[in-house]
Amino acid sequence: MTTIRPFTCEDMLKFNNVNLDPLTETYGLSFYTQYLAHWPEYFQVAESPSGEIMGYIMGKAEGHGDNWHGHVTALTVSPDYRRLGLAATLMNILEDVSEKKKAYFVDLFVRVSNKVAINMYKNLGYIVYRTVLEYYSGDPDEDAYDMRKACSRDVNKKSVIPVTHPVRPEDVD
Amino acid sequence: MAVRPQHMHDGGIVERRLRPIYDWLDNGNNKKALQEAEKVLKKSPNLQAARALKALALFRLGKKSQAHALLDELAAEKLSDDTTLQAMTISYRESQQLHKVCELYESAVKVEPLNEELHSHLFMSYVRVGDYRAQQRAAMALYKFAPKNPYYFWAVMSIILQAKTSEDATKKGILLSLAQRMVDNFITENKMEAEQEARLYIMILELQEKWDDILKFIESPLYSQLVPGSSAQACIPYLKKLGQWRRLNLLCKDLLWDNQDRWDYYLPYFDSVFQLMKESEINGESSADDTAEKCHEFICQLVENMTSGRTLRGPYLARLELWKRLSKDGDPTSLLGSGVALCVQYLRVFADKPCAVPDLRPYLAMLPQKEREEHSRDFLTCLGFNEKSEPETTKDVQRHISCVAAWRLAAAPMSAEECLELANTLRAHYIRSFNKGLLTATLTEFCSTDGYGILAAHHYFYAAMQQQSTAPVVEALCLLELVLSHSPANFHVKLLLVHLYHFLGNAIAADSIYQKLEVKHIQLVSLGWLHAERLSAACALQRALQLLANTSSFYTHHAKDSVEHLTYAYKYGTFEKLVELRAWGSRLEACAWGALSARERALLSLLAGPAVLLHAPAMLLPATPTDNRDLDVIVSFEPPESHDANLKERTYDQEVAYLRLKDALLSSIALCIECSDSRPLEERRPQYEELKTCIDAFSEAMKKCKEKYCDIEKISITKPYPSRIFAFVNSPIPYRELYSESVLMVGELAMGDTSAARTRCDLLTTLVNNSTRLLPKDIQLWTLRDSLETLSHYLEFIGIINCLLAVCNELFAPASTKKSKKKTNRSPDEIKTAELLNKLNETVQSSITYLEETFEKLPQHKYESTLESEFSKLAIDKKFGGCPVESKLQNGRQEMITEIQNILKRKTLFLKTLINFNSRGA
Repeated sequence: MTTIRPFTCEDMLKFNNVNLDPLTETYGLSFYTQYLAHWPEYFQVAESPSGEIMGYIMGKAEGHGDNWHGHVTALTVSPDYRRLGLAATLMNILEDVSEKKKAYFVDLFVRVSNKVAINMYKNLGYIVYRTVLEYYSGDPDEDAYDMRKACSRDVNKKSVIPVTHPVRPEDVD
Repeated sequence: MAVRPQHMHDGGIVERRLRPIYDWLDNGNNKKALQEAEKVLKKSPNLQAARALKALALFRLGKKSQAHALLDELAAEKLSDDTTLQAMTISYRESQQLHKVCELYESAVKVEPLNEELHSHLFMSYVRVGDYRAQQRAAMALYKFAPKNPYYFWAVMSIILQAKTSEDATKKGILLSLAQRMVDNFITENKMEAEQEARLYIMILELQEKWDDILKFIESPLYSQLVPGSSAQACIPYLKKLGQWRRLNLLCKDLLWDNQDRWDYYLPYFDSVFQLMKESEINGESSADDTAEKCHEFICQLVENMTSGRTLRGPYLARLELWKRLSKDGDPTSLLGSGVALCVQYLRVFADKPCAVPDLRPYLAMLPQKEREEHSRDFLTCLGFNEKSEPETTKDVQRHISCVAAWRLAAAPMSAEECLELANTLRAHYIRSFNKGLLTATLTEFCSTDGYGILAAHHYFYAAMQQQSTAPVVEALCLLELVLSHSPANFHVKLLLVHLYHFLGNAIAADSIYQKLEVKHIQLVSLGWLHAERLSAACALQRALQLLANTSSFYTHHAKDSVEHLTYAYKYGTFEKLVELRAWGSRLEACAWGALSARERALLSLLAGPAVLLHAPAMLLPATPTDNRDLDVIVSFEPPESHDANLKERTYDQEVAYLRLKDALLSSIALCIECSDSRPLEERRPQYEELKTCIDAFSEAMKKCKEKYCDIEKISITKPYPSRIFAFVNSPIPYRELYSESVLMVGELAMGDTSAARTRCDLLTTLVNNSTRLLPKDIQLWTLRDSLETLSHYLEFIGIINCLLAVCNELFAPASTKKSKKKTNRSPDEIKTAELLNKLNETVQSSITYLEETFEKLPQHKYESTLESEFSKLAIDKKFGGCPVESKLQNGRQEMITEIQNILKRKTLFLKTLINFNSRGA
C-alpha cells in the first residue's frame, strides 16, 4: 500500500527509519540536493498511508552514445516494509524513466556479499555484467557486482553481454 | 568544493604552471599553495590567474585584508579571463561577498559582450544573490545572441520568481501573464523541447489558478510528447480543484484496476465518492461510484480480482479507510460491520508482515475507545495465540508479535504489576528463541524475534514510571543490550537504549550506543534531540562539546553550499525544484537546533573548553526559527489516547523560548567583553548601553518563562525528555539575578563606575553563597537525571562567572602591567574594589569545592537484573554472555565525575591566578 511521489528535501528530515539501517548510507546534504536538482524524476519515495517513508530510490541518467543508461545510485526499503515487493515497484519506476529517456540499459552496483539484494535484482531480470574489484572501501575493501538489464532500445541486447574479466574501479566509466 | 575548474581551456604553459597551486588548494594545504603562487608570480608577475589563486590562498590562511587588497586590485583591471574570474568567485563566495561576483562578471561581459560563458556566469551570480530582475535581464541578453531554450526559460523562471515574491497583486498578475505569454509564444512556434519546460508552464498556470487550462494542456499531444505516459495521473489534482468529481471517480477507478496498491489513487477516489454522495441527483446510469454501497462493492471487486500472487494490502486498507470516513458523520456498521472486526480481519491476513501493526495504527484511533478496549483481546487471539503462546516458526513469531503489539495498542493501559508480568513473559519468549533456532538476525538484517525484546522494554518502562523505580529500566536495558548483541543492525533497539540510558542520567553509556547509530549530516539536525541535546544536560561535557562542534560544522557547511544548488537547478533546468531548494535552504538556515547548538557550544566552551574564550556564533538568531526534529523515530506502543497531538508544537515552543534565553545571555557576555576592551571609555559606552538593554530583556524573559513553563511535561519512552527550560527557569537558584548582577557589574567596572560595581559585587557574593546552599543534596537514583540537569545549569554559571571574572581582571590588572605590579601604586578606590572582587572569587571557589563534593556523592546504580537467572533457566544450550549494563553504568558515572572534577579543578586554578594585586599583602 503505497503512495509513490517525488522525493522532496523535507523527506530528509524523516527518512531516519530507513537510513538508520546500517546498509543504507546517509550521504552529505549536497549529494541529495544535487540529485534533486539534476535528476528529480529519478528520485522517488514510497510512502505508507500513515505518511511514513517506506523506502526510496535515487538514480541518474548518464553516458554517451550506446553507453547512455540509467543508473541506480541508491535503493533502500525500511526493514518494517520489506518483502512487500516495494523494491521491485521502485525499480520499475526507474526503468520506466530510463525507457522514456531512451536509455540502452540500466545498471547498478551491489556488494558481492549482499546475497539478498543480488537475488532480488536477478529476479527482476538483471545479470552480473562484471565484477569491480575493491569498489567499496572498508576494512577489508569489498568487490562489487556491476549488474545490468537492457532497455527496449538495445534491441540486440548488446549491453548485457557479460565481461568475463574483473575490472578496477578506475576503469568503470 | 574543488577549486580547479572542470575544463581548463588553456592546455599550455599557463595551465602547467597553475597546476601545482590548484593541487595544494584542493588538498587543503594553503600555505604551500601560497608559496607556489608566489613562485609563479616571480617569473610572470602579471599572471592574473596566479594572483587570483594567491588571493584565495591568503584568504584561506586568514590573511583577509591582504586577500581583499589583491582581489580589489584584480577587479580594477577589467578581467575577462575565465580561470581568473572563477578563482576570484571562490574567494568571494567563501568570504560571503556574493554581490562582488556580480560586479566582476558585469564588467567582464562589457569586455567580451558576446562571450556566452561569461554571460551565463553573470546570470548565476545574480542567482546566488537572489536578484530576480537582474536574472531576467541577463538571461534575455544571453538568449538574444545565443538563442537556446534553457536561456529563454531562465528568463521565464526569473519572472515567475519576481511574481512569487511580489506583494502587489496587480503586479503579480502582470508578471505571471507575461511569463505565460512567453511560453505560449514558444508553444505556437513549436519550440518546446523538454519535460521541465512543460512543468514550468503548468507552474505558471497553477499560480494563476487556471485549472481548466492546465487540464487542456495535460491532455494535449504536446504534453504527452514531452512527458510521455503520465497524463492520466497528472490530471488528478486539477480535477479535484475543478470539482469534476464524476470524472475523477472514473479516472481513479481505472487507475486502481491496474494498480491496486496505490494509496495516492485511493485517496482522490474516496474524495470523489464522498463528494458525489453529497450531490443530490443520483445518476443511476453512471458507472461512477456515488454511494457508499457502490464504493464498497468496488473495493470488494478489487479484493476478488487481485491478480498477482501476492496479497496486496491496498484493498484491505481501503475498506478501513471507507469505515473511517463513513464514521465521521454516520454509522458505518450497517454497511461494513464493526470497525474492530475489520481491523482484526486485517491483522489476520497480514500479521506475518512487520508492516501489519504500522498499517493498523492510524485506524485503531477511529474505533470508539470503549468498544476497542473491550475487544482488545480479539487482536491477541485472532490467530489462536495468547500472550503465553510459544510459536515454533519465524513466521509465527512475527504473527505472534503483531498480535501482541496490536492488542497493546488497542487495550487500556495496564497496572505496573501487569506490565512487569507481560514484560517478563515476552522476555522469556525472546530467551526461548535461542534454543529454537528462531533467532535469525545477521550482521545486516534484524529478525522478528527482536520484537519480543522491544515490546518487553516498553512494558518495563511503563512499570518503572508507575512504580517510580529505576529497577525495571535496568531490566529493559539488560534485555535490549542482549538483543542488540545478537541483532546488531536493529536500530529500533539502539534508539531505545540511547533514550533509556539517558533516562537514568547516564549520557556516557548512552553515547556508547549512539556511536553505533552512525548519525551524521542531516541526521544531526533531525536527531539532535535524542542525544546531542542531552549530553550537556547530563554533565557529559567533553562529549557534548565534540558533538556540538560536529553539528555546528554541518550547519556552516550547509550555509556555504546551499546557494550553489540553485545554480545547479538552473543549469539542469529543473525549475520545479528551484523553489523547493530555496525554501529548504532557508529552512535549515533558520533551524532552531542549529541556533541553539551554536549558543550552547559557545557557553559550554567557557566551562569545558581549552581556554576561557568566548566564541560567539556568527549567525544571528533567526527571526522565525524552524523545527526540524524527527520525533517519530522511536516507535510507540501506547493506545491512541496517549497520543499527544500538540506535543511537537508545544515542545518546540519551549525549545525556542530556551534558545532566546540562551541567546540573550550569550549576547550579554559578548557585550561585557566588548565594552571592556582597550578603546577609550566614551567609545565603549554604546556597548554598555546595549548591554543594559540586553540583560534587561533576558531578565524580563526569565520572569515570563517562569510563569509560562511551570507544568513540566510528561516523560515518554518515545519522545524527548522535557526541555531544559523547565529546570532553568524554575530552579531555586536565582539565575535571573545571578546573571543580571554579574554582567552589570562588569559593565559598570568597564565604565569606571566602581562604587556601583562594588555594590553589585557584594550582592553577587551573597547570591553565590546562597546558591551553593541551594544545590541538590541527597540525590536519589530515580531523580538522578533531573538533579544532573540542575547541576548542569550551575556548572554553566561557573563557566560564565569564570569568564567574567577574567574580564574584570583584565580591566583591573591587564596582563601587560602585571609584571610591574610592585611599582604600580593603586588608589584606595581600586584596592577597595579589588578586595570585593577577591571575595567574590573566593566564594565562587568554595562553591566549586562544594560542587566537586556533590558529584563525588552521586548515587550509584545497584545492579539487580533477573535476566541472568532467567537466562539460565530457559536457554539451556546457550551460555549467558555477560551483560554490559552494569559496567557501562558504573564506568559512565565514574568517567563523568572524573571529567567534571578535572574541569572544576582547572577552574579553581584559573581563579587563583586572578586574585588581584595586593589584598593579601603580597
